[in-house]
Amino acid sequence: MLSRFFDGVPAVEDLSFEIPEGKLFTLLGPNGAGKTTTVRLLLGLIAPDAGTANIAGYKLGQTNNALRSVCGLLTETPGFYDRISAWENLIFFSHLYRIPQTVREQRLEQHLREMNLWERRDSLVGTFSKGMKQKLAIIRAIFHEPQVIFLDEPTAGLDPEASLMVREMIIRLKGEGRTIVVCTHNLDEAQRLADIVGIINGRLLLCDTLANLQSGAGLTTSIEIELGEPLRDHQRTAMNLPFVKSVQGKDRTYVVEVENPSSNIPGLVRVLVDKEVKVYAVRPKARDLEAIYLQCVSGKGVGQ
Amino acid sequence: MNVSLLFLRKELRELRKNKFVLPVYLLLPPIAVILPVVFASLAPTIMAIDQNDPVVLAIHRIITTTPEFAHMGTDEAITRFFLRNLVAFYLLLPVGLSSISAAFSIVAEKQQRTLEPILATPITDFEFLIGKLLASLVPSIILTWAAAILAVVIVNWTTWGRYQTPLLPDRFWAIGVFLLAPIMGTASVLAAMRLSAKMSDPQSANQFTGLVIVPTFMVGIGIFGKVLTISMTAVAIACVVLLLLTLFLLRMNLKNFQREEILTKWK
Repeated sequence: MLSRFFDGVPAVEDLSFEIPEGKLFTLLGPNGAGKTTTVRLLLGLIAPDAGTANIAGYKLGQTNNALRSVCGLLTETPGFYDRISAWENLIFFSHLYRIPQTVREQRLEQHLREMNLWERRDSLVGTFSKGMKQKLAIIRAIFHEPQVIFLDEPTAGLDPEASLMVREMIIRLKGEGRTIVVCTHNLDEAQRLADIVGIINGRLLLCDTLANLQSGAGLTTSIEIELGEPLRDHQRTAMNLPFVKSVQGKDRTYVVEVENPSSNIPGLVRVLVDKEVKVYAVRPKARDLEAIYLQCVSGKGVGQ
Repeated sequence: MNVSLLFLRKELRELRKNKFVLPVYLLLPPIAVILPVVFASLAPTIMAIDQNDPVVLAIHRIITTTPEFAHMGTDEAITRFFLRNLVAFYLLLPVGLSSISAAFSIVAEKQQRTLEPILATPITDFEFLIGKLLASLVPSIILTWAAAILAVVIVNWTTWGRYQTPLLPDRFWAIGVFLLAPIMGTASVLAAMRLSAKMSDPQSANQFTGLVIVPTFMVGIGIFGKVLTISMTAVAIACVVLLLLTLFLLRMNLKNFQREEILTKWK
């Protein structure tokens, strides 16, 4: 349970989650929700006031420099030395990451070519567009082949083509077995990339696999039930089950709010069939991440 | 490559395009070369303009009472006296050059947003601090020494015909340039780094250094500089005191130069 306070005000509180190796974790939250503080805590850049964490086998606070050598960071604003070239910037940081000389230049060339920056390698970074700087910053975050990669708004400021390229690269990195943490406001991006989604607003409001969140597993979600004929009163009364939160509808189509739908829907259908209701179809109403996110950060919870 | 030396290399590459620091680096060393040459050529003439001037009389008094000058002709003694007093300029040179560079180097990392990417690497706080220290100090010391050596060569070349003996370096000049100047430079860099950490933009850091740190050292040299040109004991004491001050500043910087402090308190 990681907590960190600034001048007595909690930046993040009671943070607890686990990311399996090779998975992509997306941390969603409004501005000031504690995403950057969380990343800084996990990189050992700031110390927690309470709690600890294990990252890639390193315990926070004990071997922070070793921990940082197996982590990569893309900061929210890609900071570079504007008065020296892209190549010189990357060489500088590659030394800080102790990338062996034997592979350094070859690896940089490969990444620069992938990002379409090879031809501009000798240009001053000060002449780069925001998108080009962002691509350069991504190279810096991954060129030492880290086990864990923290990406803060990786596609911010990029055009659609570059965004696609970055997303494909993230997917490739995940395919290589690297664990990736993406902080983003971009819900569409999170939906495309995430294995696990965390929604934070000071506290971790929700943390689950994207599949579970969308199906509503472990949460209250809506299902649509199509019947042969409208419900009669005694049939509707029979639906007053502990896991049924609401029933709305008319004619033959009803929307039912069900808790833990994956385990409770069969029980609901059984009750309806016992009451001689002709059940034609039961369809879960899939929720998109935006709905989940907005519900979460608005303080309403996710049907809990 | 050693990580600390890496900062030096990077800073040297950036220096040629740095509009805040480069003018100072281009302006001060040539002055440090020209001043001794001018003084060596004109000192006897200046002294001859008004023999009754109180300053001229005071200089004559010092020359006649200092055993070191006793066996020399008046002109040579006057020239040597003037040159020795110019050591003060060489003490200030690394202070001016390196402290402005140091003040800029930390605040520029903040402004360019390169601090966090650096701190996210496996670099230790000590490596970062020493890297920043060397990056500011080494160029200024090299320039100071280069200017001093060039001045020695030119002064001796231009005055050889008159005195048939090299005027420079004398022991005060040598100790001042090669020992005291680097120590003062180190102390000023550490002071500038500590203070500039509180600044938010290069202009404020530059102004603060120019208005506080450099003048502080100037006042120090103004008060004690005279003693440093006539007493080796005073020079030795100055070396010890400055070394202690430098160690104190280094300790202060090491204590406060931590990732957490830099990221959360250096706005």
